Amino acid sequence: MRRSEEVARLLPGPLRAVVLTVLLLVVLGPLAYMFLASVSSDLAVARGALWPDGFHIDNYARIWSTTNLGRGLVNSVLIAGAVAVVSAFVALLSAYVLVRYAFRGRVAVLRGLLALQSIPGTLLLLPVFVLFASAATALGVTIIGTRWAVLITYLTFALPFSTWVMVTYLRELPPELDEAARVDGASPWRVLTRVIAPLSWPGLVVSGVFAFLLGWNDVLFASVLTNPDSRTAAVELQIFGASQEGGALPVYGQLMAAALVCAVPVVALYLVFQRYLVAGLTTGGVR
Amino acid sequence: MFLPGGVLTLLVIVVPLAVALYISLLDLDQYSIREWVGADFIAFDNYVEAVRDSHLVHAIGISLGYSALVSLACVPVGLAAAVATQDRFRGRGLVRSILLVPYVLPAFVVGSTWRIIFQPDGIANRVLGTDGLWLNGPRSFWALVLVQLWAGWPLVYLLAAAGLQSLDATVHEAAALDGAGWWAKLRYVVLPQLRGPVSLALVISFLHNVNSFTLPFVLFGVPSPVDVEVLPVLTYVESFQNFEFGLSVAMAVVSLVLVAIPMAVYLRAVRLDTGRERGSR
Repeated sequence: MRRSEEVARLLPGPLRAVVLTVLLLVVLGPLAYMFLASVSSDLAVARGALWPDGFHIDNYARIWSTTNLGRGLVNSVLIAGAVAVVSAFVALLSAYVLVRYAFRGRVAVLRGLLALQSIPGTLLLLPVFVLFASAATALGVTIIGTRWAVLITYLTFALPFSTWVMVTYLRELPPELDEAARVDGASPWRVLTRVIAPLSWPGLVVSGVFAFLLGWNDVLFASVLTNPDSRTAAVELQIFGASQEGGALPVYGQLMAAALVCAVPVVALYLVFQRYLVAGLTTGGVR
Repeated sequence: MFLPGGVLTLLVIVVPLAVALYISLLDLDQYSIREWVGADFIAFDNYVEAVRDSHLVHAIGISLGYSALVSLACVPVGLAAAVATQDRFRGRGLVRSILLVPYVLPAFVVGSTWRIIFQPDGIANRVLGTDGLWLNGPRSFWALVLVQLWAGWPLVYLLAAAGLQSLDATVHEAAALDGAGWWAKLRYVVLPQLRGPVSLALVISFLHNVNSFTLPFVLFGVPSPVDVEVLPVLTYVESFQNFEFGLSVAMAVVSLVLVAIPMAVYLRAVRLDTGRERGSR
């Protein structure tokens, strides 16, 4: 064991230490600055000071009155959470059909799942806007400005990737599993919910988390399809950042605190589900 | 069971795609948008205007240039990280987790952070001993490259590390028998085996950068400085600031052509029925 490890070594120890030190500095430097700036006075950040002039933890208290970040976070959690749950579930259904049933156009659908991920969002933005507006007029309801508008949009952007992830999971499950259950007289629906779903929960987690991130991270659609009441945290932060230019002293300390607050849920999700997410990322996603 | 996913995809992707192609042939501005179906049909005039009288060609140049630059620059960094975290050592798990953090941070957070770092009196000028503007003027291009590189290289690392893990143990034994030093082994035995995963990472990273809207939008704001006026931001501004809807969609259709070639390469590289990338063995 020891010997084979010795043989498999790629880098001499000191060189490895140098490479890793440089990489960690590059990665952690900006992250550390982000934290330091978030507890600095606005003036210190504006002057480019490295060390905080005191520990201004009150930045984290003040952001809730300076911005509407609180409401934004609630909107983001509701929207991204719903996208995660629905798209994991729908992806499971679609992927099951794609993996277990042979039908014409199956390969075309699989190819489409991958191709759809690289369609630029800017191409669909205006048509989605126009269609929502027309549908609203025709049906006599409001769509644009509600949470539903972004929810529906994110759902469809999340589905191709979620379905692809589920496809890669489901085809690792032996077909004998469903056959055995079906011989026992179980309906396809029962096979799916009682046999397949419990076995593929890592895939469901990956699909769900990626769908959540898509909703949490989007600025493009949310900036056009939401109004001040349904704005997501991403748009609140973007507006907060953009409004710091010109005028009086920019509140940079608070801006960094707000950015960290928006980042924490994402990094926490990543750390908790790291093992599954890394496996999911290597299955080939564009986003 | 296939129905819900299929119908949703059809409604919010395929239908808008068709509408996009149609709108790009209309004379659509803020006056005609309410009755968009009845707007004047002007065939390819929007495309002609986009090429002749707009920043489209310039934006395509910026987009392609910076995307290629960033994707290529990610390769050495990602490879170095993959190779350096392959051997066992104490704390390896922690290091691997940390290296991926820039990649999982939301683009709007990365943009907001670097916007402060690069502000004229900010920490970047202080640390580098420079002064002047990073978010405007010619240097803004390099600011965009730098930030996109900081946030994007872990993808190459991720795919290269996965490739390294699937390397056959006999490769190492053969190299050891031949008495190869670490550099010779790396250069002639290990790295050539990573060609597949690294090319895949290059394509994915290029597609990601060409389509990237949030980072340039948040980092520089709109109207965008001309040196970083990338295609997605130009398209957005044309629609939601200048209200030239037909022109904007025509530009977006052109951007579809830009991603078509790398996308075709990508689709060939991923084997659909086993889900294994050809290169990663």
